[in-house]
Amino acid sequence: MKLDRLIEDVYDHETTLAKQLRKTAERHAADHDIYHLGHSQARACAQRMEQLGPHAERHGVTPPEAPTSTSPTLVEGMRHATADLLGRAKPTGQLLVADLRKLYLAAQATELAWVILAQSAQAARDAALLAAASTGKDGTTVCAKWLRTRIKEAAPQVYAAG
Amino acid sequence: MSDRIADIWGTRTPHAAGDDWPVRVDRYLEPGVPVRAVEWVQSACVLCSNGCGLDIGVHEGRIVGVRGRAGDRVNRGRLGPKGLFGWQANHAADRLTEPLVRRGGIKGSLEPAGWDEAMDLVVEHSREVLTAHGPLAMGFYNSGQLFLEDYYTLGVLVRAGIGTPHLDGNTRMCTATSDFALKETFGSDGPPGSLTDFDLCDTLFLVGHNAAETHTVLWARILDRLHGPDRPRLVVVDPRRTKVAREADVHLPIRNGTNQALLNGIQQQLIVNGWVDDDFVQAHTVGFDQLEATVAQYPPERVAEICDVPAADIRAAAELIGTGERLVSTALQGVYQSHQATAAACQINNINLLRGMIGRPGCTVFQFNGQPTAQNTRETGANGDLVGMRNWQNPDHVAELARLWNVDPLQIPSWAPPTHAMQIFRLIEQGSIRFLWVIGTNPAVSLPELHRIRSILGQDRLFLVVSDAFLTETADFADVVLPAAMWGEKTGTFTNHDRTVHLSEKAVDPPGQARPDMEIFLDYARRLDLRDVDGAPLLKWDTPEECFAAFKRITEGRPCDYSGLTYDRLRGGSGIQWPCTDKRPKGTERLYTDGTFNTDTEYTEDYGHDLVTGAAHERKDHTDLGAAGRAVLKTADYQPPNEAPSEDYPLLFTTGRTAYQWHTRTKTAHVPQLNAAAPEPWVELSAADAKQLDIEEGDLVRVESARGRLEAKARISGVREGVAFAPFHYGYWDTDGDGPGKHPRAANELTITAWDPVSKQPTFKVAAVRVRKLADGDGTPSPAPTTTASEPLTDDVPPTSGGTGVRETVRRTR
Repeated sequence: MKLDRLIEDVYDHETTLAKQLRKTAERHAADHDIYHLGHSQARACAQRMEQLGPHAERHGVTPPEAPTSTSPTLVEGMRHATADLLGRAKPTGQLLVADLRKLYLAAQATELAWVILAQSAQAARDAALLAAASTGKDGTTVCAKWLRTRIKEAAPQVYAAG
Repeated sequence: MSDRIADIWGTRTPHAAGDDWPVRVDRYLEPGVPVRAVEWVQSACVLCSNGCGLDIGVHEGRIVGVRGRAGDRVNRGRLGPKGLFGWQANHAADRLTEPLVRRGGIKGSLEPAGWDEAMDLVVEHSREVLTAHGPLAMGFYNSGQLFLEDYYTLGVLVRAGIGTPHLDGNTRMCTATSDFALKETFGSDGPPGSLTDFDLCDTLFLVGHNAAETHTVLWARILDRLHGPDRPRLVVVDPRRTKVAREADVHLPIRNGTNQALLNGIQQQLIVNGWVDDDFVQAHTVGFDQLEATVAQYPPERVAEICDVPAADIRAAAELIGTGERLVSTALQGVYQSHQATAAACQINNINLLRGMIGRPGCTVFQFNGQPTAQNTRETGANGDLVGMRNWQNPDHVAELARLWNVDPLQIPSWAPPTHAMQIFRLIEQGSIRFLWVIGTNPAVSLPELHRIRSILGQDRLFLVVSDAFLTETADFADVVLPAAMWGEKTGTFTNHDRTVHLSEKAVDPPGQARPDMEIFLDYARRLDLRDVDGAPLLKWDTPEECFAAFKRITEGRPCDYSGLTYDRLRGGSGIQWPCTDKRPKGTERLYTDGTFNTDTEYTEDYGHDLVTGAAHERKDHTDLGAAGRAVLKTADYQPPNEAPSEDYPLLFTTGRTAYQWHTRTKTAHVPQLNAAAPEPWVELSAADAKQLDIEEGDLVRVESARGRLEAKARISGVREGVAFAPFHYGYWDTDGDGPGKHPRAANELTITAWDPVSKQPTFKVAAVRVRKLADGDGTPSPAPTTTASEPLTDDVPPTSGGTGVRETVRRTR
């Protein structure tokens, strides 16, 4: 049984995703929906990690600290300020689509980590872990779907407008 | 004669459930006009979404007054103060009467020009932008106060002619959430119920709906039941102690931004207490299991903590809702402009579905509108919808439209939903949209975070066209200003919040060179030479009636079926509710009477969204859901608001309207009776907060958020502790040149740039602020009305009055 490794894998992916969501939120703070939803989705990552906590301990994994920082770091603050300054420039649209594409892939990778955990939990007949992993998978599916929706809206303006 | 400024709702005509609402004809005529010589022209009121039927009084070519139409189903003769007095705005001395163009560059001034010069300039810049940047650099932002014919002309012109998705209405600020909540739950837009349901219900649940001020005649209708022999029970959710809240059996003054938690909590109580109509839920809904699992997390004690109201009151509210036999629930801006707008609005739909109370007399849910013609922006696709309640994600719907319009399907932007207003302004900020036409609305005062909006509109690279009846704060930024005709000066139709369609006939000529909006759009399309695939003109009508006929054809077979309506059928009697077909020429009083909803995948207007992120469901998600005619019980967890009070900004801020003013006062400030009742902005504080801040009634205070500041006199009112309120009506056009720098008085200086993820409606009702005293008021009270939610706590403030001369004639029922 190597479920512990899969749990650690989920933690790694969620931590990376949360960081990337926050980074994108601050970098595109002039796109206010990206700013607000980016941060709230980062909080959702932390919540999913917390919910996995008891199962992680059962499998001998020490849950890492959830990335819940509410006050922005220095780097994040700088990104926000830059976003406000450069928010008027047209290339920010292109940059947004590029960053959302990366985020989408990170969300997909995280979803896959949960799928692998859920599959293995089912095969190991660990019903509680299976339930937790399914909830985690649903959450990351929604996150990816939000990004897909947003990319579909944003891309034509960047690439079809002259 | 009554004073209808002092008594907003007029003489009571109480009645019991099931009785017809008695007729009371309200009339106001300019003093001295010979009544017998007045000619009456059929119309309806355009000062809220109730759309009361009225006749315009004309004498010697001038509008001289109005009277309610006794036979109209909406108002049975009544009018509110804005309806009675508001027509005087048409006579304002500062109406725009000729086109203006900016001469001398960006710093130059607006100077009179002829129509040809102005329109040529608009067309020349449109062509330049289209050639250099393509259709996606063109944006259009319209209103909730045009007529159906104006909207439809604009919709076809922009979607099929220019081919840009960047067309939205200010209805995005007002009823986008109503539209989206109806689509999410029932599969299409369209209010399910009838206003007569208020005459029949035994339980009322009003959420964030200060009907006493937003819909005064509807509130008169409700008061006639509340003061009648079998008074319905009333549950009210509102952080302010409104006149509605004062009538309530249970008032829940929740912390603003927490609707979702409260409504989850009420559903939890309905389920655990067995107040669910299991047969109805089983047969006519999908999603119950998920809903049950979500709301189970919201027992009254947890909700009490989030919302800061007693758990016992939550239980009491749920019991009233859960034990009534005929429930009418309503929502307005306290839901739509608050946090988790669409999610919360959907929970109100859920409550009626759980109770099995929809589609029957006295049982319905109203996702109300605000503006008089907001419903038509949605039907005609002049906002975020595709015309005729079609689904932009359904290629068959787009193809059908292309066939009816005789254009290439690819010409119609359908790769994504139509761009919402806040995103249109973002794209202008980015320089991606270069041409913006603002029609009959005033974003420089009505959008959130005004310093940002002003800087966006003030950009050199933007070509801004404004058509309006008045020189607004927005027109100050314009390159070209076009004078528009107002209500009473043009013919057209519009639809209210229970699907009642009214005809409004032209009573007088517009002043000077002002023109109806539809004519301006037709002229623009002609000058741009917009054509269909066969080379014929794209817009195939010249008169409003011809336009109405074209629109009817587009709606045939869709939820908002107008095919049985004609101008002639709308003349003489009452307004008529759609769907109206040749088979049902009298219209349809209630939708969904057989429990079948518009959720069939082929037919539905929208595949739905995730309520927390706004992630759009696609066709396969919708078929998987398998709703197939059943309503969808949507669910969401409570999320904390985007901005919470902090040490620096310890109070919650919310905005709203007063009964006497309309929007940014372009019309109502020109009406003596209305403007005198609420001449200046004010800030409402609770007694406890005022005491802590050492503020007394009438003191000048400064309210600051992270984005801006507002200065106004304080009114100590019944608003909940920890919350400051300011009306959103006041801008700068009538301040003798004092702009926002010198004397900030627009509530939107403070509001946050954030919007609901599904409806994209801005969050005007949740922001964090701090308040401090600037100067003593020397005992002079603030100018806030005493007759409304801004009622003072002390009784030494002179009462609001000044609306004399109104004749009310109550017709006794047999």
